[in-house]
Amino acid sequence: MNIENLQQLTQFQIDEQAHIIVDKEICKTCDHRACVQSCPANCYTFDEETKLLSVVYETCLECGTCYIICDKGALDWSYPRGGYGVCFRLT
Amino acid sequence: MAKYFDVIIVGAGPAGSLAALKLARAGLNVCLVERGQYPGAKNMFGGLLHNTPVLNEMLPDFWERAPLERHVYKKVLAFMTPESAVSLTFENENFEQPPYNGHTVFRPAFDSWLAAEAVREGALLLCDCTAEDIIKKDGRVAGVTVKGREGTLRGNIVIAADGVLSFMAEKAGLRKDFKAKNMGVGIKLLLGLPEATINERFHLVRDEGADISFVGTTGGMGGGGFLYTNRESISVGMVVHLDSLKASGKAPYEVLDELLQHPQVRKLVKGAVPLEYSAHLIPEGGFTAMPQVYTDGMMVAGDAAGLCYTNGINLEGINLSMTSGVLAAETAIKALEVGDYSARTLSLYKKKLDESFIIKDMKTFKNAAGMMHLERLSRTYPQVLAGILEKLYRVEGMPRSKLLRLARKEALKEVGLKNLIADGIKIGRALL
Repeated sequence: MNIENLQQLTQFQIDEQAHIIVDKEICKTCDHRACVQSCPANCYTFDEETKLLSVVYETCLECGTCYIICDKGALDWSYPRGGYGVCFRLT
Repeated sequence: MAKYFDVIIVGAGPAGSLAALKLARAGLNVCLVERGQYPGAKNMFGGLLHNTPVLNEMLPDFWERAPLERHVYKKVLAFMTPESAVSLTFENENFEQPPYNGHTVFRPAFDSWLAAEAVREGALLLCDCTAEDIIKKDGRVAGVTVKGREGTLRGNIVIAADGVLSFMAEKAGLRKDFKAKNMGVGIKLLLGLPEATINERFHLVRDEGADISFVGTTGGMGGGGFLYTNRESISVGMVVHLDSLKASGKAPYEVLDELLQHPQVRKLVKGAVPLEYSAHLIPEGGFTAMPQVYTDGMMVAGDAAGLCYTNGINLEGINLSMTSGVLAAETAIKALEVGDYSARTLSLYKKKLDESFIIKDMKTFKNAAGMMHLERLSRTYPQVLAGILEKLYRVEGMPRSKLLRLARKEALKEVGLKNLIADGIKIGRALL
């Protein structure tokens, strides 16, 4: 399964308003950055050069794994506005 | 949008919709709030809708009208090592007739259907509404604010059936912060295959379905894998504990890939076309991780109330959810009759839960959550089993030992006496 093709497999109604906001300063000093590996949709990336964590909220499956796993208080996480976000058709 | 309702239900999942149906039938003014574009748009599970007596009672012909895939006829428990599989298969003619023991379903289809049943009886369904906060009046919960379609909904009672992360329960101060060890994440790939191919590969006829649980395919993490047959597709996935996932440093979809590449699984999924990928959290903390389920003006049902348990053999949640939804609705009906929505009146809900199979089963298996965290269960014991069987079956011109000696040697080699005793006690406490 190629996670890079997620958008071809699963449907999203993308909101211009992000439902996940990361506090990049906190993430700089995080000792595990478990969000990067644990996210089932591979939404998080950490740039070793700039030491910046970024999130692609557009393909978030809204499972909440990162929300539970982050123990640094770096995530402002909520469900997207009604009607937006992931839209399972089958599953 | 500003309305007043007898009951506001947050979440048109199985718990919320069945509660709405019950309340609507009682002639109450009920509003069902859903954040998806349609009910089920945000919902995912492994795939099995268990037999649920309250559902059968309220919709006696549901298996003729609901969008179901296959009824489960064959149960398989498979212990896997990278090169082998040891499985126990149970096929049962008694699971062939109504009330079936369970059906595979697609959540967008089933949840939409169930919500439509509630709407048909008079419930108001509002989609595209994410409940954002609770509204309090005179110290009790008296409504919710929503975003998407913006507005405020007020009512006498709120039933929070807003799923595993229940922000409503949090806002009402009913739950503590979640712990990673009490949560599992399920990921799943839906794979399309022709109906005839599924029937041949899994030895099924007509609407018969198979439910396979895999132990040992989670890359050493605590959890398990699953495979369910739908009519023209199969659902393959796995559930891992979040603490275990975090510690492993592994990406869940890579571990799922390993399952799909396993020699015995590869044959089952060969030629299948990926149709959809999904992920969802599961409240796996069991009885001891449950939040408070009621307060002034509010009750919590389904996943939101942590009503889910697994003991490795039974994985139940949707049946507990629907039953809790109905019990919350019954309590709301009583509260509306007497015109008192205080915690004292709504405590009846807790009493009903306690008396039902829901809390009884969750209490019976309250130690199972800890047992499921034994990583040796998904890492070492499948190796032991496969090791014993390989030695038992292999013919190579060497003298054999008797069965017990062989098993003891294999177990001691892989696990060690101390661990074996400790695990035995833990498993015994959970299941025996």
